[in-house]
Amino acid sequence: MHLTGLDLLFWAAGLGAHFILFSVLLIRRRFMVFPIFTAFVISNIGRTIALVLVELYGTKASYFYTYWSLAILDTALQLAVVYEMYSLTFRPLGSWARDLRGALAWLVIVSIVVAAGLTWLATPHARLWMQVVVIKGTFFSSACMSELFVGMIVLAVKAGLPWRTHVARISQGLGVYSLIDVLIEAGHSYLGVSRNTQTYTMLSHFRMSAYLVCVAYWIVMLWRDEPRPRKLSKNFRGQLIHLQTMVDSDLERVRARRRS
Amino acid sequence: MNKGSVWFLIAVAVFVMALIVIAVYHFRRAQKSSQKDWRQLLTRLTIVNRSSIAEVALDIIDESGERRKDEGSAALEPSEIWKLVGGLKGLEMLEANCAVLIDLAFYVQQWYPEALAVAEQLRLSAKEIEWHVERLKGAQKTGKLESAFPMYAQPAVAAYYLMTRRVLALYEGGNLAMLADLREAL
Repeated sequence: MHLTGLDLLFWAAGLGAHFILFSVLLIRRRFMVFPIFTAFVISNIGRTIALVLVELYGTKASYFYTYWSLAILDTALQLAVVYEMYSLTFRPLGSWARDLRGALAWLVIVSIVVAAGLTWLATPHARLWMQVVVIKGTFFSSACMSELFVGMIVLAVKAGLPWRTHVARISQGLGVYSLIDVLIEAGHSYLGVSRNTQTYTMLSHFRMSAYLVCVAYWIVMLWRDEPRPRKLSKNFRGQLIHLQTMVDSDLERVRARRRS
Repeated sequence: MNKGSVWFLIAVAVFVMALIVIAVYHFRRAQKSSQKDWRQLLTRLTIVNRSSIAEVALDIIDESGERRKDEGSAALEPSEIWKLVGGLKGLEMLEANCAVLIDLAFYVQQWYPEALAVAEQLRLSAKEIEWHVERLKGAQKTGKLESAFPMYAQPAVAAYYLMTRRVLALYEGGNLAMLADLREAL
């Protein structure tokens, strides 16, 4: 594959942006709260470097296999980031909110079914069956991701669960990017991969630009601190613990009546 | 352009539009509720007859929230409970107020993250009340509302009563300036 000046520019910008984001996660100690998101950023750095090395020193076939193997890893890590965001939002007390477990399971099922339905409708024009699998696979994953992020907003609002500032910012970034990606992957599917790959490449560049904007947003938002909580007085802390015990027993009583 | 591709593009367009509309609507709703000030929150509370609520609740529980086992407990007649609560409509008002009670707890939690546990438990209590109201709505459809009302309404009112006490205790503990207003509203 021949790399143009624009390709190299995107490569350098992506690598630089991920390095800055990783530095922010380290310096501001966000990696302790978001270990999976940090792993996702590290994998992006490793992926960019690995692909350029394979492009420069490897064969066309080795580039193809490296690219798609890493793309699968990237999708898996994106799903893991979704899990991390869900976990930080819907496990307010360390365990999954009891009233939301059913809704979460439904959300996952519906997201997969809708994304699978849309993917089934796609009929990409391609020369190789492998290209069809790749186009359909990336479309499916971006449709799923966008549904999961929108579902997360809906469930959090409906359940009255607050979003922590940084969780909200990471989710918004990835959610908006996934929505843009759905359109781009739909474009890829519609236009297909013919001998002339100019439009395909142009759409890919557009996707990379959207992703760079998303990374820039994360850099700024994760550098900023969350609003500082007020310090609890010793007295209030004690009362709060007592109050929590009382609310716990109230809840048990209400449940017991419900069962009887 | 073949027919299959056209359907695919239409489906993707509908899909993306639907997701954008849903996300923007809920995102704005979340922003509004987190930016609400104290006064706006209180205006969302529907005024209910506090003494009636207390009477129905304290018929089966004591002030500490323990279930009463004395002879005078559960003395209210079903018709009295219906009248004091205001029927299913009154119960629906309490259900709507539960959301405000959770927001009130969330309001404190913005400054004191440790209050999260209380807010979360209140949220679960509200879910229980919702469950009772749903049972009653089901009973209404089958024409058994009157007979089912005391069975579900009284525990729901007791849970609501305890929720209001807990929210007040939360504000009391935090020495928050708005306690007097809250006492008035609840």
